[in-house]
This record gives sequence, C-alpha cells and structure tokens, in this order.
Amino acid sequence: MKRVVITGMGVVCPLGSNVEEYVRGLEDNKSAIQKMEKWKEYIGLNTLVAAPVEIKNEQSIPRKKRRSMGRMGVFAAQAAEEAVRDSNLSESVITSARTGCIIGSTMGGAEAMNDTFEIMLPEKDLSNLSSMNFFKCVSHTAAMNVSQCFGIKGYVMATSAACASALQAVGAAYGFIQSGKQDVILCGGAEELHAIVAGSFDILFATSTHFNDKPEKTPRPFDKNRDGLVCGEGSGILVLEEYEHARERNAKIYAEVVGYHTCGSGEHVSQSNKEAMVSCMTETLKSADMKSGDIDYINAHATATTHGDQQETEALKEMFGDKIPVSSLKGHIGHTLGASGSIELIATLKMMQRNKIYPTKNLDDIAEDCKGINHVMKSQDKEINSVLKNCFAFGGINASLICKKIF
Amino acid sequence: MDKKKIEEMVNQVFEESFEINKGELSPDKGIFEDLGLDSLDIVDLVVALQKKFGVKIRDDNRVREIRTLGDIYNFIEALYKEGNFLVDK
Repeated sequence: MKRVVITGMGVVCPLGSNVEEYVRGLEDNKSAIQKMEKWKEYIGLNTLVAAPVEIKNEQSIPRKKRRSMGRMGVFAAQAAEEAVRDSNLSESVITSARTGCIIGSTMGGAEAMNDTFEIMLPEKDLSNLSSMNFFKCVSHTAAMNVSQCFGIKGYVMATSAACASALQAVGAAYGFIQSGKQDVILCGGAEELHAIVAGSFDILFATSTHFNDKPEKTPRPFDKNRDGLVCGEGSGILVLEEYEHARERNAKIYAEVVGYHTCGSGEHVSQSNKEAMVSCMTETLKSADMKSGDIDYINAHATATTHGDQQETEALKEMFGDKIPVSSLKGHIGHTLGASGSIELIATLKMMQRNKIYPTKNLDDIAEDCKGINHVMKSQDKEINSVLKNCFAFGGINASLICKKIF
Repeated sequence: MDKKKIEEMVNQVFEESFEINKGELSPDKGIFEDLGLDSLDIVDLVVALQKKFGVKIRDDNRVREIRTLGDIYNFIEALYKEGNFLVDK
C-alpha cells in the first residue's frame, strides 16, 4: 500500500476566505454566527441564526467557469484554488489523468433548487429556466465545477452522506491513492446555507432557537445550555498526494493520513448511535495500527444537539477515557454540514502544526451527560503528533480519520 | 418602442447576463465567434430576452437563424411589430 500525505489546504468558511484568516479567527476565539433577519419571512422556521460566508472576488473566476456555480461551487473553486497554490503542484500534474477530484456535499445547491421550483411550479412552466440551474442543483456540483475549473482528468466523484460527506471524500481519496489508482486528489466538501437546509433540521427540533438575539452564544457543544445546531456554509479542500510523489518534488507536507473508516449504524435515520461511533473509531485506529492512547487530540463532531453530543461523549469516554483532549469547532463556525469534515480537518492539521489546541467555544458549563472526557475549554499548548477527526451524519453514517505528523 | 430602445435593451441583456462590455456590442458582431457565447448561453439568452421583453420565443424557429447581434435586434423588432410583446416597456 502506498503512503498518503497532505500537501495543500484551502478554505472558504464563515471565519474567513483563506486558511490564514480562518485560523486567525479561531486563535481569537471569534464567533461567525449571525442573526438571519431575512429568515423571519419563513413560517415555522424557529432558528434565526446561522454562519454565512461573505463571498469575495467572485469575478476572478472566468464567467464560463462560474456560470454553472451556485454558492457552494464558488466556495469549492476558491478553496481549491488556495489548496492548489499551497501545494505548489504544476499545471501538468493537476491536469494529468493521475490527478482526481472528490468533493462531497449534503445535496446540490439549495439556492438553485429553490429558484428552479419558484420559476417552474406556479404555472408549471419550464420555459424560463436557465440552462445553468441543473448544473447548480446536481449532487456533484462542487466536484464537477472544481474539476472543470482546474482541468481535472482523473477520478471525479462526489460523496454524499450529509455531515460525513467531506470526510468520506478525504477517506475515498486516501483509498484511491493508497491503492495506486491516483497520485494526487483534490478532496473535501462544500455546502451552502439556505432556509431549506436549516429548515430541514429545524422541523426535527435539532436547531438552536433560544439564542436568536445572542447569536455569538450559540451553538454550545457539550454545554449544559446547548439547544441545537446552527447551520453554516463554506468549503474545505485538501490536496492528498502519494508520499514518494510529494517527496520527489520536495513538497511541503502537513501530515500523513494513516487511518480511515466509515460505517453505518443501521439503527436510526437521525439519531446518533454510540455503538456505531465506537465501531467507527475502533476500525479507524485498527487501520492505522494505533491504540487509543496514541492519539494526541480529537476534533469532535459535536454539533450541540442534545442527543448527538451525549452519544459522542459516551463513545469517546469508552474509547479514550478522560485523558485525550477533545474540542469541537462548531461554536466558532456553526455546522458547515457536508463541508464540516474537511473545514474542521484543516483547522485540526493547523493545530497539530502549531502544537496548539483551540477550545470548544461556548462550552462554559459542561453538561452532566457530557462529562467524563477531557474537554478543552481554553486554548491549550500541547505537543500534538497525531489527531483523530470525527463526523457523524444523518442516515446513521459515521466517518473517522487519523493523521500523523511526519518528521 | 423604437429600434434604438430595442437595441439598448438587447445590449443590456448581453451586459447583465454575459458580462460583455457595451463597447464590444455592435450589430455586426457574431454572437458565437465574436461575443463568445456557446450553446448553453443561447438557452440563457432566450430566457433573458423573454424576461426583458415579456415575450415567449423559446419555440420560435427564428431563434435558430440568429447569428449576429443585429439579427437579434431585427428579430425583437419583428416580434414587436407583430404585437407579440406581453409588456411594452
């Protein structure tokens, strides 16, 4: 099996439009959550908070590349642009058949779907539909648009597993490079914010609704007063590369991907399941040939839902006890859903690079049912050589990934 | 509506939908070779013209004959003369 390393990273997220801005926001413990005044027009939508992205410099993407992009396509293209630049890969490598692109999302562009139905349904008339709506609505809109932007000729795929989509994309890329099918893959996730998306969680009573006038106080992962998730948007793209390929060109290496697993719970479509989480993390450790004590930091999924955080705490407690530091980044950037795995993995890798752990924002008073693990509540300096990233999604789908520093 | 107004409104479509500068828009310009539109853009051109002039032209065979910007001006003018506009802007 080939070794796989990470040689480039790019992000567009609620805290910034590149990795530096994003990490600075985390460093300053900023909240990107805002009140969504416009959402008041939706009857029955109780959450009025979200973490939107301010799109910058959109025009720098040529019109013919941009016309098929909804918000999530723009996020993914801009994040990929930063990742490719960061990796310093040549254009000939990027456009070779040995370079692929795997980007996941919960669904296609929500805004384009909304627009399509608004145009089509009142009179059941399709004659005013733009040719581009389809390309914005499809499930592989981010992967498709990024691959078109960069002339990708290798594997192009979209993973779609709700909040595990991005981590599944990174995991799939890891597998294809490990097995020698590809040398380089741009991978990650993308998601766009829309009332349709937030509403899906809202009607299930999974969103935060008690902090609409104090947006910066929510979400509150693991906290006594947590009341649900807050939707965000953005994209995180990583460049995964075969180790020798990276070494030959003297590439900067952030980390090695050493373990990955994904599995279903087969139990419930929306409720997190501790046993399935344990199984996922156990298999991930096994694939990395590591023990639980070998992990230095865990970046939790923890979205601040009552049940999800409690189940993840139980799973982490059983696997890691109260020794390994755990934090969630949802308090800073909300839940970027299908993009969260890669956006948060990027921050996790920066933490490993800096030997510094960013805390769980808004975790002021640990809930009784979330006690027993090592919560990071203040920024902490610690030597970090290995990290575990978790994503647990609707549909009972779990994904975990382990990265290690390369010395 | 006079021809000048029609030209102005068609040009607005090209500026707004296809990000083409006003200076590049003249009747002799070929919409594919000079203005850079492709087959997907034509679908959106039809949608944009429908909205701009309040007409239904998607199934009008004359659309297929359009080659230059001038052809569009003439086509829209013909539609106007035929009384096909739903809204006279």
